[in-house]
Amino acid sequence: MYIIGENIHIISPKVKEALANKDAKYFQDSAVKQVEAGAQALDLNLGPRKKDWEEVFPWMVETVEAVVDVSISFDSTNILGIEAGLKKITKAQPIINSTSAEEERLEKVPLLAKKYNARLVALTMGKSGIPVAADERVNIALEKLIPRAMEIDFPIEDLIIDPLVLTVSGCQEFCPELIGAIRTLQFAWDPPPPISVGLSNVSNAVPRENRPLINRVYCAMLMGTGLKMMIADPFDEELKDVIRIIEERDDSSATGKLYLKIHDRIEAMEEPLIEDVDTSDAEQMAIWKTVQILLNKVIYADAYLEQEAVG
Amino acid sequence: MPIEIPKDSWAGEVRTVSFGATAENGGTRSKTITVGGEKTLPFLQFEVPMPHPPVIALEIKDRRPDDWSSLLLETWGDVVDDPGEWAKAAEEAGADLLQLTLSLTDNEGKPAKPDDAVAAVKKVLEASALPLIVMGPGQAEVDNELIVPIADATKGENLALGICEDKNYRTIVAAALANDHLVTSRAPMDVNLSKQLNILITDMGLPADRIIMDPTTGALGYGIEYGYSVMERLRLAALQGDAMTQLPMMVTVGTETWKTKEAKVGEDVPEAWGDWLERSINWETLTAVSLIESGADIVVLRHPESVRRVRLAIEDLMAVPEPA
Repeated sequence: MYIIGENIHIISPKVKEALANKDAKYFQDSAVKQVEAGAQALDLNLGPRKKDWEEVFPWMVETVEAVVDVSISFDSTNILGIEAGLKKITKAQPIINSTSAEEERLEKVPLLAKKYNARLVALTMGKSGIPVAADERVNIALEKLIPRAMEIDFPIEDLIIDPLVLTVSGCQEFCPELIGAIRTLQFAWDPPPPISVGLSNVSNAVPRENRPLINRVYCAMLMGTGLKMMIADPFDEELKDVIRIIEERDDSSATGKLYLKIHDRIEAMEEPLIEDVDTSDAEQMAIWKTVQILLNKVIYADAYLEQEAVG
Repeated sequence: MPIEIPKDSWAGEVRTVSFGATAENGGTRSKTITVGGEKTLPFLQFEVPMPHPPVIALEIKDRRPDDWSSLLLETWGDVVDDPGEWAKAAEEAGADLLQLTLSLTDNEGKPAKPDDAVAAVKKVLEASALPLIVMGPGQAEVDNELIVPIADATKGENLALGICEDKNYRTIVAAALANDHLVTSRAPMDVNLSKQLNILITDMGLPADRIIMDPTTGALGYGIEYGYSVMERLRLAALQGDAMTQLPMMVTVGTETWKTKEAKVGEDVPEAWGDWLERSINWETLTAVSLIESGADIVVLRHPESVRRVRLAIEDLMAVPEPA
């Protein structure tokens, strides 16, 4: 699993404060720790920086590249800021996160990626928003995103399609559809484009204590579709353990066996079943209940773990 | 050629919920209201006959309302000045049950007092023997202040009490628990929050068959599609076996429809809108019937003519076709 570290994000009050103070050490610490924890690229979400982009983007690239060698992912809507950052890159191939299928973005952002030899995350989102159905998301990739890359001779292996994770709390019907979208995208083009998602989005608006479980169960399910890249929290040890269990096929623990089973069911285009679960084991039941909400079989509620299992 | 009609069968069913205690059960109500028990979607009588038809409540207030349409005030006349008289008139108008909605202030604009609220409820219970829902005015603190003494004073009558919302449910649930009442659980047109609130209420020890879910809705032309979808989704989840959605649903149709422009405004509207009163009643009737189709078990109305028309629709929908 190729993890793009998500922890430098303006939504965090600490990041916000460090940025206001131009605290280089804070960002260097975060960058080093994320890379040590396994991040193979670093997502930088600094917000639009409408007033100070000219200064902030290059400063951040210099700051981070002084201590790590990995790819930097510019997570911003500010094209001028991204370009200012791209000009400063001296190390690994950068990533632009992102373009959508909206005309204006799709016109400009891929050209920028081409000019600076960056990889480009392209969202399956058009001007009318994000479609629920898997097929419609795939269609946006096939009819808009990939054709635009071809048009400007942008290498498909650098076009990272992001079919979009939405939160189980409020956009539950999107969650199972993503499984089909990732599956299909891998067979929709030759060579298949890389695929990445923002995993933690699945638990946005979920009470903090329940987020990690939802993230790692969804991760196991999405790995079953063949997902090999995601933006995620590299400090989430339990998440990384699930990834390791699946990659190494480590069935030495009962929980590990269940995660493998969930992965294998999805891989075989099946749904996990209650038979796969040791119902006397509270941890396994929590995983099962989480599968049920992620497949939109049971309506999500903040207290879903306290409800008796269904199915 | 004979045609085989495909039939769905579901794993789950809606809980049967009853309220209103007769003398036999220690109360003074003339009958008990029983709703729920559905094993399939509404009115698919050929799959599983609907065990209990949807019921119609009429909404009354503890005093002359300040914000009700003049059409409603003309229709009801002077009874609106006395909750007992109003309750009697509503029973005569054909309601299956009543909803008494408490006012935030008294006639002089001063904050409502618990003693007055208890007195109004008692008047209603004495004047009409129909089962009763009592709703607070909709401000958390005032709701608690008024509903708790009402719950105490009416122990044994087995009322349904509201408003329980995610930010304010504990006090009212505790009062219902202690006095053998039910509660209504209201969430703002959101399946997740509806379910969450039901979990929280049952966590306090109130059995699920003492909860009526109020998913809230919008009137025809004012968000009814959204309300309809939320109710449909909740009902489908219930039939699929999701215990915390397996509750009968009530909707306050009168509140929603009588605040629409179509029902509120009689002058300076396009002529094509037609007769004001007829239009308003149509608005309330169509909203109610649509929501009954999406799974509403209790509809709360304001106009007696709407009661008559919705009743006719329910009777038609409940008819079980003779086997061929």
